[in-house]
Amino acid sequence: MAARADSKAPSPTEPAELPVRQMIHLKTKEECRLGNETIQVWAVEMPSKHAEGILKVVKDRIEGQDAVDLQHLRRFAKPKSLPKHVLGKRDLIKEMYAIPRAWESTPLSVMQAPSTAVWEYSVPAKPRINHKPQTLYLLICGTNLISLSELHNLLLEYAPFCSSADSWAYPLEIKEVTVPRQAPTSPAQADMWTDNYWPTFYRKTNPFGAHPATIAKAEEDLSHPGYESVGVEEAMILAERAAHETQAMGYGVGPGCTIIERVDNKAEILAVAGDARHKALPSTAGMTDAQDACSGNVMGHAVMRAIGMIGRKRLRVASHPVSSKAAKAERTFENCGLDHDEKARDGFFLDLPVTPLEEEYFAQDNIKPDGYLCLRLEVFLTHEPCIMCSMALVHSRVGKVIFSERMTQTGGLTAEMVSNDTGPVGLGYGLCWRKELNWQFMCWEYAQQEEEKAGKAGKAIPVGNVDHHQATSTASANTNPDQHLALTSAPTSAPAKPTAMLSDDNANVSSFASTHV
Amino acid sequence: MAISEQTSIPSTPPITSNPTTSTTTSPPPDCHDSLMPSQFPAVPAVFGPVPNRAYHEGFMRKAIEMAELALASDETPVGCVFVHNGEVIGRGINGTNASLNGTRHAEFVGLAEIMAKHPQRILTQTDLYVTVEPCIMCASALRQYGIRAVYFGCLNDRFGGCGGVMQIHADRGVDPPYPVYGGLFREEAIMLLRRFYVQENEKGWRQAMKTAREVSLTKRLFAAPEPKPKKNRELKTEILPVTNVNPTANLTRTSTPAG
Repeated sequence: MAARADSKAPSPTEPAELPVRQMIHLKTKEECRLGNETIQVWAVEMPSKHAEGILKVVKDRIEGQDAVDLQHLRRFAKPKSLPKHVLGKRDLIKEMYAIPRAWESTPLSVMQAPSTAVWEYSVPAKPRINHKPQTLYLLICGTNLISLSELHNLLLEYAPFCSSADSWAYPLEIKEVTVPRQAPTSPAQADMWTDNYWPTFYRKTNPFGAHPATIAKAEEDLSHPGYESVGVEEAMILAERAAHETQAMGYGVGPGCTIIERVDNKAEILAVAGDARHKALPSTAGMTDAQDACSGNVMGHAVMRAIGMIGRKRLRVASHPVSSKAAKAERTFENCGLDHDEKARDGFFLDLPVTPLEEEYFAQDNIKPDGYLCLRLEVFLTHEPCIMCSMALVHSRVGKVIFSERMTQTGGLTAEMVSNDTGPVGLGYGLCWRKELNWQFMCWEYAQQEEEKAGKAGKAIPVGNVDHHQATSTASANTNPDQHLALTSAPTSAPAKPTAMLSDDNANVSSFASTHV
Repeated sequence: MAISEQTSIPSTPPITSNPTTSTTTSPPPDCHDSLMPSQFPAVPAVFGPVPNRAYHEGFMRKAIEMAELALASDETPVGCVFVHNGEVIGRGINGTNASLNGTRHAEFVGLAEIMAKHPQRILTQTDLYVTVEPCIMCASALRQYGIRAVYFGCLNDRFGGCGGVMQIHADRGVDPPYPVYGGLFREEAIMLLRRFYVQENEKGWRQAMKTAREVSLTKRLFAAPEPKPKKNRELKTEILPVTNVNPTANLTRTSTPAG
């Protein structure tokens, strides 16, 4: 337990050899994909005192507004809170109307409303210093629900756009505005969209991934573990140690894995495994796989080994009904005429410990009896797992995965597809949270803090959209430019500069980057 | 209860496959495919014609036999054989229940048999015949091992990695892609699964009645989720043909949100 003691109390005065790492929750595939989708809506400017009336008209007279949820957008927006390109060039006709008129400063008088016989007092508006009427923009609805001419005719029927006895008509000018289709998933994203599209709310929910509160709770548990618990730093160091040990023995190429069970602030380390893909197969009888001309036994990936160890531990501590069920399944193999050479099977699956460190944790019967696969366990990895290992984690029903290093050529967990998403472009599978699959888990990258990272030679991984305004979506270049928030398409921005198809991260590929981990 | 990829095919919906080129205006739901250059079309036609079909059906018959044996032992009826130079060198059925390891799929069990006697490189000259499309995990493993070709019976619309949900065999990646041929004895593969679910369900119903009151809270948290058995689940025999529909047609896209 030396590792535990060491990492528990890092002396603050000690010069930090390891860079400070922090957990960064991964964007899900949906966040990367749908979060970039936009929709066209109609918007109209009007004096603010008519806003509610026109909203009611819009709600009553335009059907189908419930189909698209735009609750993340402000329905009314003050002109000053809208981006310049939405306001556009000020309409000169409208400026002409901007002299005080009846609907903005009606003198106290008795007047008759049109088409009624009732006389009533009209109250003058409070005098304004600049004498400019206060106006609001109303987000009407998606452009697909009503045509421009129909909307125009509809609004002309109602005040302030119809002229009446008490007022000239307010000039009706309908704008087509591009707005984000989906709710933002972070406050930073909401701010960015407010600056670029339309005032946007962040409501602390996330339809495309784990709930922000759940993520925050998990981050707290992992970053500040209690006395009896295990934190992310300690677990990661253990995974790194496991990786170094198998690498030193010539079995592995660097990745390692730790699996932890956390119940009520207590954590147990269930399995620790290093990569062992180059451990000779029984069939090759000691021949190294360099002679076998292959990149190693895929079953030797650290994740597969650790999951296998959990299964073997479960068998070991299983109660009678469970173990007899497993034994029955084992006999099925004989019924099917499958001879099982245990040694060969273990040599292939590599789900037994091969180093003293692995043995230390494998030997402990600290797993809850009769649990299900790796249900809700926490998995700590030195590298982003390959597609196979990522899907193995899905099949095993894990709860949380934290990895250190992204593998842009082979990794299966990150979802970034285009360079204006929040990380380097990878394969984009995002297997940790795909609604097509029947299991999702939270996933973090455990990386150095942003500024340190940026400072390191050439490999900046931007975190958060704000830094990435200038990046152009390759997707928008290749598919339909309107479907993504290609920020450069805004009139105020510089013209779009399409980046290369693949990001720089993929351009300089070291040999390890293309290794499956 | 079965915990492998095959738990999801009780009612065999019509198999859908994206049109390969007609999505120029709207990308398919998995933008992944439309963005990545690949040696194959965006969605490979896994139900295309199989050259020399009778020869391959011979080996698929052996895979079906493995699945039949598994079904007779109350195991998920998915079977596979690996064939090298016309000879079966590896056979597999689902091993998740025996190992309590959710990743021990039939393909992996078959691979273990191969590796007990052969060097790994033999796989580059080996074909896989499996009754149900390999899942995403197996599809990736097979690609990393360098399998020559994969022949399968029916699609796995829940986690298939060779066309059912994703195209792991053909997407951009560091390993060479492999060809996939689907639809060999498709109806039989589907019926095997349906028979299994009906059979499990009858057992499950009695069991569920018996244990319903004994399940404690901790067990609910940490034990396998027991699917609620439906009473009167009948064995359906009608199998819809392979169709080619466009699943993206009614997806929300820019300026044409779902109405």
